[in-house]
Amino acid sequence: MRDSGKRAEGGRSSTVSLTVNGSGHDLTLDNRTTLLDALREHLALTGSKKGCDQGACGACTVLVDGRRVVSCLMLAAQCDGREVTTIEGLSPDGVLHPVQEAFVRHDGLQCGYCTPGQVMSAVALLAEGRAGSDQEIREFMSGNVCRCGAYPNIVAAIREVAACDAAV
Amino acid sequence: MTMAEAVPAALGPGVDRVDGRPKVLGAAHYPSDVTLPGMAHAALVRSTIAAGSIVRLDTARAADMLGVLTVITHENAGRLQKGKRNLFFPPPAAPLQDARISYHGQYVAVIVAETRQQAAAAARLIEVTYDRDEPVLTLDDAAASSQSNPYFIDMKRGDAKAAMATAEVTVEGTFTTSPETHNPLGPFTTVAQWHGDTLTVYDSTQNPFHVRAVLAASFGLAEDDVRVLSPYVGGGFGAGLRSWPHTILAALAARVVARPVQLSLTRPEMFTGVGHRPSTMQRLTIAATRDGKLVAIDHEGTSTASMGHEAPTRKPPTRKAPLQSLLKAPDEQPYPITAGTAAAYACPNVAARDKRVRLNIAPIAHMRAPGEAEGNFAIESLLDELSYELGMDPIDLRLRNYAEVQPQTGLPWSSKALRECYTVGAERFGWAQRDPTVGAMRDGRWLVGYGMAGVTFNHYQAKCHARATVHRDGTAHVCSGATDIGTGTYTVMTQLAAEVLGLPVDRVEFELGDTRLPQAPQAGGSGLTTALGSAVHNTCVALVQRVLTLVSDDADSPLRGCTIEDVVAHQGRLQHADDESRGETYSEILGRHGLSELTVDGDSAPSRAEAGVIVGSLVVSRLGRFGRKLVGASHATVPAGGFGARFVEVRVDPELGVLRIARIVSVNDAGRVVNEKLARSQIIGGTVGGIGMAIFEETVRDPDSGRVANATLSDYLIPVNADVPDIDVVFVGGPDPANPIGVKGVGEIGLVGVAAAIANGVYHATGRRIRSLPITIDKLL
Ligand code: FES
Ligand code: FES
Repeated sequence: MRDSGKRAEGGRSSTVSLTVNGSGHDLTLDNRTTLLDALREHLALTGSKKGCDQGACGACTVLVDGRRVVSCLMLAAQCDGREVTTIEGLSPDGVLHPVQEAFVRHDGLQCGYCTPGQVMSAVALLAEGRAGSDQEIREFMSGNVCRCGAYPNIVAAIREVAACDAAV
Repeated sequence: MTMAEAVPAALGPGVDRVDGRPKVLGAAHYPSDVTLPGMAHAALVRSTIAAGSIVRLDTARAADMLGVLTVITHENAGRLQKGKRNLFFPPPAAPLQDARISYHGQYVAVIVAETRQQAAAAARLIEVTYDRDEPVLTLDDAAASSQSNPYFIDMKRGDAKAAMATAEVTVEGTFTTSPETHNPLGPFTTVAQWHGDTLTVYDSTQNPFHVRAVLAASFGLAEDDVRVLSPYVGGGFGAGLRSWPHTILAALAARVVARPVQLSLTRPEMFTGVGHRPSTMQRLTIAATRDGKLVAIDHEGTSTASMGHEAPTRKPPTRKAPLQSLLKAPDEQPYPITAGTAAAYACPNVAARDKRVRLNIAPIAHMRAPGEAEGNFAIESLLDELSYELGMDPIDLRLRNYAEVQPQTGLPWSSKALRECYTVGAERFGWAQRDPTVGAMRDGRWLVGYGMAGVTFNHYQAKCHARATVHRDGTAHVCSGATDIGTGTYTVMTQLAAEVLGLPVDRVEFELGDTRLPQAPQAGGSGLTTALGSAVHNTCVALVQRVLTLVSDDADSPLRGCTIEDVVAHQGRLQHADDESRGETYSEILGRHGLSELTVDGDSAPSRAEAGVIVGSLVVSRLGRFGRKLVGASHATVPAGGFGARFVEVRVDPELGVLRIARIVSVNDAGRVVNEKLARSQIIGGTVGGIGMAIFEETVRDPDSGRVANATLSDYLIPVNADVPDIDVVFVGGPDPANPIGVKGVGEIGLVGVAAAIANGVYHATGRRIRSLPITIDKLL
């Protein structure tokens, strides 16, 4: 072991049990590992993006026990025993979720980097019943920065899904 | 072969982004998503002074941390060569070569460790002692050296000074814009891997072949021994046009640890590591007759740039400096602000000149409509002032001075529908309802203002290569080593290929983002669709030609003896233009000839007029009317860029200073629009960028240390969803004959004019003329 004798300052590990997109995982992680890094680097779920690592852009949005969180601000260890849904869990069989489909149809994306986070936020927003008007959609989607500026099309996509949901 | 008849289904508004599906699934792999077996992670240490030198670097504690593989500093980095001279995209100074510091945030060490967390933690343990010099940080610092005519494109026609002296009406103003940071949402990342003496990198870039050239030079490799992959990039906005030190350092780190290394910039590092829009200052004077005819424009623009590593601190300006920096070793990107001034309006006397001031700041980079956006802000704001001075409608004033021909050369434009931009925009916006009196329009507590601006954008096209293959199963594969940074290149190229080959869009695959593919230019200057689209078009035409050659004396083919003019391509089939029953499919032809596929290479090049216009404009500057005759004799038309008009309704709360953008109409002449859905997205994105420039974005530097004081996405304000109103995007005009596909770029033009239209709306609402961006609350109180 070439590292023997080296200092592991702050770098202690813990074992964390996560249910991600329905399947259970026991991970041994450096305590400093965020939920985002655990998903991306230990479970190879790179759909959730890191835009800032500071809780300011929403690119890393996932659902924890059904609620949207910015996964870069959560330590993986905080999620022990909890259920996480990522963009990969939205369409496990490859059939697009209605929100994903609407994003494509309305071109609610450009570079696509913010898109998984936007889609996860939109899914949660619809579930929370917060897509009642364009104004409401705009407000409640404002935690998800899109530097490409796809906002009007994102609003159009969510509006359409909300209208379909209301019609059902 | 007439394209319009070929496959209308391949074009038009209905085609979704072909890369939309992987992107909404989270399955598109950006460089930061790349993991290679045995990959280590690198973290950077940045200087905490803006000028001076490193006296001591203590790396022992960091090196001793668990998981740390190496610490690289200028003391052990070894020799790296600087990239080859490049006028538009100057390579960075080779990193970690000496102890000198020329900006806050310059890299002083790289740590490589097993994990990202270990590398980041170890980076914080590096101790650096500096010998600090007094940095030069602001435009108005007396110690700042200023270069005149730094790009050798200062322009003039007539005699602006003399015309000013006798003009009936003169307006003037000083305009300033703040530094902005591109902040593409995907942090720039490099994953580097060596196989012996060949290097592969996954990189966030808009310019893969440039990155390849710089890496090859840095490590003394042949360009063919470097491969750059960038199939998905998380936005660029210009930050990815140059190559950056972190890319070189990732490759260096990978060589040192003999493992693949990922280096992903943190968000704060994105503020110093990949360029920024420089701050600018402009002095502008416009003179006119009482009835609104422009008689003279005098425009001087100054932009800031980094000091450069060769002379990192205060240096007296020398007369030779600009020539040297241009010809010998340019280390900064040209950033002209007044380059478009001479072409915007029919005004007989124009003087446009640029200056550059070098500071101890991080390197600059072109950012969406570099210089054009700033220059337009000044001109369109001051024209608005002139309209009030004359009591004339701002649209009428612009129409009164409409440039029917390109005014600097006197040659006709290849196409121009700016007049329609004004009239269609005014109609859709309801400009006629505007009460021209300042402060007259109200909605409850809100003061309402209507503002507008016109846009004349420059044209740009570079050389480009492509390859097209048709397979026996009737599918096609077309490729070129370009990038799609969200602009729609994958989709538009798929459509253009499908159009020529007569295939449904889902039978064509377009591949990009790999320097092993034919060489393409950068995704920049609003020129990629023109360059690459023309190359794809030409290459696919050549492929059809090749297929026809194959059957030229094939007795079994109904196409025997046909020339390309005789046929149309439709539904995977080539057929006689006047008798569709006489034809056959690609599959039939390839099958009969025992071929599994047929491939051709092709390219496109800018017309001679392209270079001619720049040179011609300068010839006119120097030789006046005689020059104009000379230029006129050698060219027929001037290839036109896009034109546009912006109409904005703003609302200002007079007590709180709150400014809201209520709605925007953006009308653009973008030539032929290949995919209206995606082109509209580009214009919307540009408009949102324009809102950011107008009212939010400002990179704040600490005046003493030169540190970027707001280097996070919570402190640096970017428009969010609730800041963006409905944006009505309209396209006017038609195919531009300057290129075979009739297009003009749409990547940047949407941004231009937005700031001026907003500022003009603010004046209309409040009577306050804001000449400095961004227009923040404090300026409205
Ligand atoms: S990466 Fe988590 S909010 Fe930006
Ligand atoms: S699509 Fe690029 S950041 Fe939203």
